[in-house]
Amino acid sequence: MGKVKIKRKSTLIDMTAMSDVTVLLLTFFMLTSTFLQKEPVKVVTPSSVSEIKVPVQKLVTVLVDPQGRVFMSFAGDKDTTSTSGGMSTEEVRKQIFESVVAEYNRVHPSAKVNFTDKEEQTFCKTAMFGMPMNQLKKWLDLKDSKRDETIDPTKKQGAAMGFTQGIPIDKSKDVEMAPNEFQIWIRAAYNCSSLKDVMVSGEGIAIKADADTPYSVVQIVMDNLQTLKMNKFTLMTALKKEKGQ
Amino acid sequence: MSVRVDFTPMVDMNMLLITFFMLCTTMIKSQTLQISLPSNDKVDKTEQNKVKESEAITVILDSDVDGKGKPTMNYVYYYTGMPDLAADGAGNLTNNKMKEVKFDAGEASQNFPMKVRAILQQRNDQVLQKINKLKADYRAKKLTDEQYQAQAKVVRNDDNLKRPVVIIKATPRASFMSLVSALDEMQINSISRYQVDNMNMSDSAMIKSYWQKRLATHK
Repeated sequence: MGKVKIKRKSTLIDMTAMSDVTVLLLTFFMLTSTFLQKEPVKVVTPSSVSEIKVPVQKLVTVLVDPQGRVFMSFAGDKDTTSTSGGMSTEEVRKQIFESVVAEYNRVHPSAKVNFTDKEEQTFCKTAMFGMPMNQLKKWLDLKDSKRDETIDPTKKQGAAMGFTQGIPIDKSKDVEMAPNEFQIWIRAAYNCSSLKDVMVSGEGIAIKADADTPYSVVQIVMDNLQTLKMNKFTLMTALKKEKGQ
Repeated sequence: MSVRVDFTPMVDMNMLLITFFMLCTTMIKSQTLQISLPSNDKVDKTEQNKVKESEAITVILDSDVDGKGKPTMNYVYYYTGMPDLAADGAGNLTNNKMKEVKFDAGEASQNFPMKVRAILQQRNDQVLQKINKLKADYRAKKLTDEQYQAQAKVVRNDDNLKRPVVIIKATPRASFMSLVSALDEMQINSISRYQVDNMNMSDSAMIKSYWQKRLATHK
């Protein structure tokens, strides 16, 4: 009686092919991805049938939350090779930031602000911000993780420090002598050499507001742009499918 | 000598990276709606382009809001031409031209037999007919995309056709969504002449009078 010998099969599978597939997928995702931008408030944009895509480069986004707080972010050129002459996002932010500080100090001679190089660098790396100039310095001095926390209006921490009030905006018509801070920012972006062409054509400025935002809130922003003679701009929407044409 | 390398850890790592990229990316990109507001500059009376009364439609947006200012119900009103402000002794408008309508969403009901879209379509009929013809050609591959866009633009701005001028007004309480829906209707109906304007006294008076009448008849 001989025992039947069961041949042991190796359970090793050749993973080379699998590895090939995953690397391909990975390459695809890396090349196509645009990262989610960190935004202090979550907004649900209304839908429209418009098929014009939001530009990925050279864009000023004005985020308006239902309470009327205004946040801003700037994006520069994607192509920053020396031949195209484009400015990277950080360079754009730097230029805007410097001209805003200068303009703010001109308008508010009694309450001047000044920033260290480190604070300026931090600003250039920040995606979105929304606070008065006199709070900005304190906010930029915080640690990275703290900054994201304190700008969120739903959390108490930031509100107590005054970081969640948005960029001050009012119905000021006197752009030369007494502009509000929103006007200062927008004008600085308008004068930024890299953004100028898209700001004039109206493609470079997008208002992003929640569907439930009352019109009075959006109107203040639009009114300010009108005061600055920027009558062309875009509203950010989500895609809606048209039911049966 | 075998030079086989075990790729399992490599696959593990790749899968992790893929998961990371999948979670962090946005595939759906937002769309934009382009608008241009009228300039704030004072225009000389002589240079002003008056809108023909027969062509003007005013669309007014309004919303009910809850305690926190969140819109609960959106309303759309419209009137054509100039507002008629003739009033009786009690200050009620006797000939209120303003009617309430709905955006396309939802069923047509007895109160609102007409949708905004139907009204605008009717008004912009001549342009839409031509646009639809172009669209049919485009679908039949007789026109390229650029040709279609260029020709559609010419049709939309053709002064020989009867085209409406739409004035969109919104009360402070109206939701942003209504505004976008209204601007959207302009695109859908190929209306080239429209503008966003501010409410004035007669608009408010008409809304007030409309509701007085509506509440009185519903009692």
